[in-house]
Amino acid sequence: MSLLLVGMSHRTASVELRERYAIEDPRPVLSKLVASPEIDEAVLLSTCNRVELVAWAREPDAARLRLRSCFERELAGDGAPVRAAELDGALYELVDGAAIRHVLRVACAIDSLVVGEPQILGQVKDAYRAAVACGACGPILGRLYPRAFATAKRVKNETRLAERPISVARVAVDLARQIFESLEDKAALLVGAGDMIELALDSLRRHGLGAVRVANRTPARAAALAARFGASAHGLDELPELLRRSDLVLTCIGGDRPLLDPPLVRQALRERGHRPLFAIDIGVPRNVDPAVNELDNVYLYDLDDLSAAAESNARERQREVEQAEAIVLAEQQRFEGWLLALAAVPTIRALVSRAEQIRRSELERALSGLALDERTAAAVEALSRGIVNKLLHAPLSRLREELEGEAGLAHLEAARALFALDDEAEDDSGEGPDPSR
Amino acid sequence: VTGLGVRARRFLTLGVALLALAALLHGAAFFELHRLEPTPQLTDLPLAVSLAAWLLVLSFLALQLRLRTRALAVLVAPGAFLGTVFAAFSASAPESGEVGSALWSHLHVLLASGGLALLGVAGAAGGLYLVHHRAIKRKHPVGLPSALPSLENLDRANSIATALGFLLLSLGVLTGVLWVETREGRLWPGGLHANATLAVWLVYAVLVGARFGTKQSARIAALGAVTGFVLLAAAVIGVGVLR
Repeated sequence: MSLLLVGMSHRTASVELRERYAIEDPRPVLSKLVASPEIDEAVLLSTCNRVELVAWAREPDAARLRLRSCFERELAGDGAPVRAAELDGALYELVDGAAIRHVLRVACAIDSLVVGEPQILGQVKDAYRAAVACGACGPILGRLYPRAFATAKRVKNETRLAERPISVARVAVDLARQIFESLEDKAALLVGAGDMIELALDSLRRHGLGAVRVANRTPARAAALAARFGASAHGLDELPELLRRSDLVLTCIGGDRPLLDPPLVRQALRERGHRPLFAIDIGVPRNVDPAVNELDNVYLYDLDDLSAAAESNARERQREVEQAEAIVLAEQQRFEGWLLALAAVPTIRALVSRAEQIRRSELERALSGLALDERTAAAVEALSRGIVNKLLHAPLSRLREELEGEAGLAHLEAARALFALDDEAEDDSGEGPDPSR
Repeated sequence: VTGLGVRARRFLTLGVALLALAALLHGAAFFELHRLEPTPQLTDLPLAVSLAAWLLVLSFLALQLRLRTRALAVLVAPGAFLGTVFAAFSASAPESGEVGSALWSHLHVLLASGGLALLGVAGAAGGLYLVHHRAIKRKHPVGLPSALPSLENLDRANSIATALGFLLLSLGVLTGVLWVETREGRLWPGGLHANATLAVWLVYAVLVGARFGTKQSARIAALGAVTGFVLLAAAVIGVGVLR
């Protein structure tokens, strides 16, 4: 059995590629995956910056191929097929310890585009809930993800990584200040009403931006959000007019087609007297046609463009990241210990059973040649039991202790070899140890 | 210029302070020059260039007090330095004053040099705007706040300097006409310098009309400011050197 992770992220794939694999509802894909004989459990995380499949697989090699084929078939959206070489270059595969560590790092926002950003934890929780809801989550991932959430909580409490997180909105403000001298007399338009927009709205308000408008497909959601931040709410049908009156546009809304295309923006520019327009598109798939950046006086940044800012952000926070990494490592070892302990149960059981079998057979042989009264026979049996228990106590205790550490697996293997447990298991059933049993 | 980072801000502040000190000394030199008998003619090209260099620095200092455009120093300082070096190494013996036309000639050189200086600042702002615009468009400056002024401020500096510079240049042309009329009794002297300057003035008239009469984009205005200043420098200084 193995824990596998196959995925792509902002580190390996361009936004063009990532948006092809972005998925809103992971449940149908997960149901198909766990129906495969090689995969027992699966979780699918699909965000703006990453698409990752995590699986607990009984046949690792076959499962790995199945997860890759999932990217090639189930997750691949419509449109021209992605070249195999391009997909291969974008996908990464992690196994066991590396996969556990990656899941923990993602939940702690260490691997995020904007290190320390708070959104990712909610997104990981949503992915986990979706897996639980469709029955794709079992005892292993059901233990791993809560551990990841606990690790994220530790990182938040024990480091300053989450303090003053450099959010997308903050990067947007820094960039906007290179275009506009003052933001107080500028108007922002936020398209969408999700978590990212809410955070951006909060941040922009705090940075003293003048008027803020929220436009959404469902005006009621926009109104609810706008009311909380003193912004105005609009429907998407008002976009041309809103564009005319806005200097900064931030979009993060679902949809297959770009909302802002060159003709629409060109018209708005003409009407606004060619005043500069700064657009940030953090939607996946993208909400603004990249060709808009070719227009004069329009500065368009998408998620990939923000990565350089995130890199500098990551450098600044290196010390906090190092502390967070130490927490992640400790939690990873803790989880691996648990996983190993799970795998050790059959070994311990087999060892005890083997000792008991020897004790019984030797006792029966000895008693058959002696004419002992009932009381004496019971005393002899107690004696044999005591000897076996005392003999086993030290190695079993030591084995349980060592399972928490790095040498746990080596001790487990040594125990199986010394007591010939695998020979016996093969004699009995022909099956090896299986932690899920 | 694009390499200016956060740390460069300290150097910029130092640069601006040194420029201010240099402008003070340069001004003192002009004051001393003015006390000479006979007073040197500003129509002398090296002196006019030196005056333009001094006014360039003064215009920059005045503008950067209002707008946060210290980074313009990276273009203004070398320009002023080259102008001053040119003036120092090509200075000739002071000519005696021209009776009757001294006022107009002084005014002409003063106003035209002021115009040249301000349009130089506009050109520098335009140049910096184009550099910064290109960097932002190409997604190079992400994240860190740059030492470069915002595009909005560079455009504002360009706009103010162009408007004032064109006004002074126009007055310079007008006083030049009056100077020629006083001295020679005709309105237009002809010659390469006068014709080239008039042609550039017409170019600027179109640029200013487009800039303030229509809703021109800031990038086009920046391009116009750079082009205009290159033509003006060629017409005023280049032609003067060739003579």
